Amino acid sequence: MAHQAHAYHMVDPSPWPLTGAIAALLLTSGTAVWFHFHSLTLLTMGNILLLLTMYQWWRDIIREGTFQGHHTPPVQKGLRYGMILFITSEVFFFLGFFWAFYHSSLAPTPELGGCWPPTGIITLDPFEVPLLNTAVLLASGVTVTWAHHSIMEGERKQAIQSLTLTILLGFYFTFLQGMEYYEAPFTIADGVYGSTFFVATGFHGLHVIIGSTFLAVCLLRQVQYHFTSEHHFGFEAAAWYWHFVDVVWLFLYVSIYWWGS
Amino acid sequence: MQASTETVFLYPPTPLSARCYSHAKVETDEEFDARWVTYFSKPDIDAWELKKGMNTLIGYDLVPEPKILDSALRACRRLNDLASAIRILEAVKDKSGPHKDIYPYLIQELQPTLTELGISTPEDLGMDIL
Repeated sequence: MAHQAHAYHMVDPSPWPLTGAIAALLLTSGTAVWFHFHSLTLLTMGNILLLLTMYQWWRDIIREGTFQGHHTPPVQKGLRYGMILFITSEVFFFLGFFWAFYHSSLAPTPELGGCWPPTGIITLDPFEVPLLNTAVLLASGVTVTWAHHSIMEGERKQAIQSLTLTILLGFYFTFLQGMEYYEAPFTIADGVYGSTFFVATGFHGLHVIIGSTFLAVCLLRQVQYHFTSEHHFGFEAAAWYWHFVDVVWLFLYVSIYWWGS
Repeated sequence: MQASTETVFLYPPTPLSARCYSHAKVETDEEFDARWVTYFSKPDIDAWELKKGMNTLIGYDLVPEPKILDSALRACRRLNDLASAIRILEAVKDKSGPHKDIYPYLIQELQPTLTELGISTPEDLGMDIL
């Protein structure tokens, strides 16, 4: 039997990077084709391939780490760096949209009436649903921390309960935001106010959905005994991502909902 | 600065060392006006800075002095922004609130500049009625 004389993970050949790249090509070209020729074929194929790639690639990582033992301490350290760098890149992504918001709102143009909120825009009351949403996400930050401590202390039932509660709070947020979007007195087409509001909060909402999905996968894994009290990096990565989503919301709330009203 | 302050001396003026203010440096009215005249006088002021300056200025609890408005109107001229120039006049009329004598005074003081730069007032354009 061959052994390696080091603690690192030399990954077996995998088709998923290639399928991921092909999915990216199909998604980009598919979007262009949809815009110009009204056909959704390429875009649909790209989406299916993307979902298949994500499912299978991450399934393989779980197999390599949880069942084959490849995630030694140095390997885990690399994964930690990776997640931190990824979240940092997402911070910069949102920074751009906040830049756009502040550029437009600190110096409103004459077309808007030289004021912010622009003339004719009826803003949402920050102390109604948006404040509830803030409470929901902050509470979910507490429950996810409770889940983490439960895992570390080997409290299986509590870990499952608190992780489930976190996910339910995430769904509640998404539901409330959905209602707000439906009932809002302005649309994305309503000048730069509409654009900055819906692009920034929209991408945030997408990240809430992604984060909730990540946590749901962790819940399934917890139920199936994947995590130990010492080693549960997948969960930690999900929790970090969830806290990031919460912090972005706090900035959105203070800047766009509160100051911007 | 058009803010109204009436000091009534009920007690003899307290010496500075015994006053209860914070030790932060307080700007005089003249310093405030000069700072804003300078802000709008920047030769290469850009459109964003003009709009930002106006929004900040209008956020204060005062009606800006004619000299500040003159500097701002000239900045509008440099930036070819007639819309903002007229909007400035609308804004200061709104800032005057219930003091209906302030706006006519400002227009009176600014009339030479308005004529020189070719800026119509909202009243000239019939834009003062909703």
